[in-house]
Amino acid sequence: MDAVEKANAERQKQWAKDQKVGEGTYAVVYRGREASTGRKVAIKKIKVGQFKDGLDMSAIREVKYLRELKHQNIIELLDVFSSKTNLNLVLEFLDSDLEMIIKDRALVFLPADIKSWMAMTFRGLEFCHRNWILHRDLKPNNLLIASDGQLKIADFGLAREFGDPGYKMTCQVITRWYRPPELLFGSRYYSSAVDIWSVGCIFAELMLRTPYLAGESDMDQLKTIFRALGTPTEQDWPGHTKLPDYVPIGQFPKTPLRDLFTAASADTLNLLSQCLVYEPRKRIAAKDALSHSYFFAHPYPSHPSKLPKCAAQLTAALPLEELDGNTLSGKTNRLKRKLTSPPDETKTRSAVARRLDFTKPTPGS
Amino acid sequence: MATDFWCSSHYKRWIVDRATLRQTRADDLLYVDDPEYLDFLAIYFAELVAKLGKQLHLAQRAIATATVFFRRFYLKNSYCETDPFIVIAACCYLASKAEEWPVHIKNVVSDARRVFSQEPYNVKNFPSDNSKLAEMEFYLVDNLECDLTVFHPYRTLLALCKSVDGSEDPSAVQEEEAGEVGVGLSAEEGPRYWGTGEGQLELPPNGLQTAWFIVNDTYRSELCLLYPPHLIAIAAIYLTCIFHPATHETVAAVLASSGAAAAGAGGPADPPPRRSSRQAAERKKPAQDPLAFLAELNVSLPLVATIAQEIIAMYTLWERYREDGAPEAGTPAKGTPDSRRDDEPGPGGATVSPTILTAVLTKMREARMQDYAHQLQSSGRPVAVNRMLERTQAAG
Repeated sequence: MDAVEKANAERQKQWAKDQKVGEGTYAVVYRGREASTGRKVAIKKIKVGQFKDGLDMSAIREVKYLRELKHQNIIELLDVFSSKTNLNLVLEFLDSDLEMIIKDRALVFLPADIKSWMAMTFRGLEFCHRNWILHRDLKPNNLLIASDGQLKIADFGLAREFGDPGYKMTCQVITRWYRPPELLFGSRYYSSAVDIWSVGCIFAELMLRTPYLAGESDMDQLKTIFRALGTPTEQDWPGHTKLPDYVPIGQFPKTPLRDLFTAASADTLNLLSQCLVYEPRKRIAAKDALSHSYFFAHPYPSHPSKLPKCAAQLTAALPLEELDGNTLSGKTNRLKRKLTSPPDETKTRSAVARRLDFTKPTPGS
Repeated sequence: MATDFWCSSHYKRWIVDRATLRQTRADDLLYVDDPEYLDFLAIYFAELVAKLGKQLHLAQRAIATATVFFRRFYLKNSYCETDPFIVIAACCYLASKAEEWPVHIKNVVSDARRVFSQEPYNVKNFPSDNSKLAEMEFYLVDNLECDLTVFHPYRTLLALCKSVDGSEDPSAVQEEEAGEVGVGLSAEEGPRYWGTGEGQLELPPNGLQTAWFIVNDTYRSELCLLYPPHLIAIAAIYLTCIFHPATHETVAAVLASSGAAAAGAGGPADPPPRRSSRQAAERKKPAQDPLAFLAELNVSLPLVATIAQEIIAMYTLWERYREDGAPEAGTPAKGTPDSRRDDEPGPGGATVSPTILTAVLTKMREARMQDYAHQLQSSGRPVAVNRMLERTQAAG
């Protein structure tokens, strides 16, 4: 056994695979545990098949980006190991997603709850954009919710870098209801604004409790958007008629958002409208959204631990060993986890030390 | 750039020091006649990656990434125990996907077969079915520990420099087609992750291209494993100031005109004063002082100088590397001194050709294989075998 294999076997031993919980196009997801601590994890086994066509593009992207991105509001890739002919991604375990919560009719959302989810989404997204990564598939069921209430952006299978201007990109991304008009018009050069549009749609969905712009086909999607927000004029969005797949859709009048979102505050509607600006260059950036007055006005965002949870999530979490963790606030929960898992602790500590370390040699080293 | 460099896997896990690098070649050293061949092999493999990459029409950045993948793979493996040709193909295939320039596996296999079967490589047993390459890709990803984000000097180069005529630099423009209107592309670069310098250095026409080519050339060495890419970019700019005639003239002019007091200090140039000072006067804006610009970057200049030295050392080595049948192959930066091809292989200033290196590589791998077989016989029980070796045998 060579050194690489040995190291891999070591890593593999740390993780125990339990039952299968889901299956995607290129991966099977298992529930698992960290052997030393019992901490719950999700293990995503990437199917390599009979080595037919190599690794799936989505798998490559997911691994590539999650390997680098570490942020409280982005799903954490804890480890990677190979077993025989499979690649296994060890991810933190998250029991529910925003879609489940939106659909759970038993739950009542306060404006402060919506504000909290939006803040966490923007924080995670700002981190992606700061690092030049487009997510390109934001939707409620890709926003996972941890047991402590933290929201985490997941599924980087469509993500890509956008730092190089002029790289042609595909417009066949983002689930239709969350897809911005520039992509529907076939734009091949786009930016972080595409993700912001998706967040705007999610924002509206949190208030409406039903998808805001649910088109039945790509064509119908544009119509749905224009019906809701008015057909853009050349002034609203200069140059949009020159986009590759532009077709005139018909004239729809602008209706104030207020008509639909009757209970929303002025701040709320202002931020929402800034996410849904037609001209991509004028759409608000994640960074600016975070300092929008919406987030600083009353009511303040709910603490993650106080957010509404699915019934399923509660029952799943209760009988397990993290019982006490659930009643505590998010912060103490994390602390406790650290104390009970020494390997994890050393890892974080050395990571911190490392980060502190290279603030010094930064210039020049 | 997929993340902050200082937090990246590239910086944290894949920058090694010279000693480690030497250590990783320990096995190969046992089977090679002259250690210098290993340096030549580094060039040889980089050329192969570039050749296959061009065949596949990969972007320069994807080729660069493939080369880095190849170097990282051989931080953990030895040439003699693996089949570098299939590793190269897998690197190109994986890099094409990691850099969003996907090519079909079938094309990689057929192009690799075509390129590698030619003289002087003569690889006749390159597997023709996709599954072998896909399997190798899997081992490659595993060996790379899934760290697929690679930083390159190109971005730093474009962030730091612009052509003074503002016109196209083929290298840059090739990646910078005109954007569409109304889509919100911001061309501005993010905050620099090092240093404090601001603004851009203006290079004369083709200056930026020369720097770009120097960066391309650095992939023939192992510099990408040793130093952060932005420092390599700055070293390339520094070398451009010295080697590129037009840039050099500008530098010399600035140095000459910036007063007798400072002139010449640290300037690598012998300034031809009169003509160039007139040129400097002709310029509308006050000329930029490239040395001051580099100094303001607030990076370790001694380290940049070290890298520049290593790049020059690489060119010196590369001058002795001759494509078969091409007596005047060589570096773009300098004229190559004419030394006739010598069939006496090995060091001491003689040239080395791909044919010779192919023979060296074959010999190394055969010797390793024999030793392995011997080991197997004498111990009487199977020794744990390197997976890649197994496959090499199966393929061969």
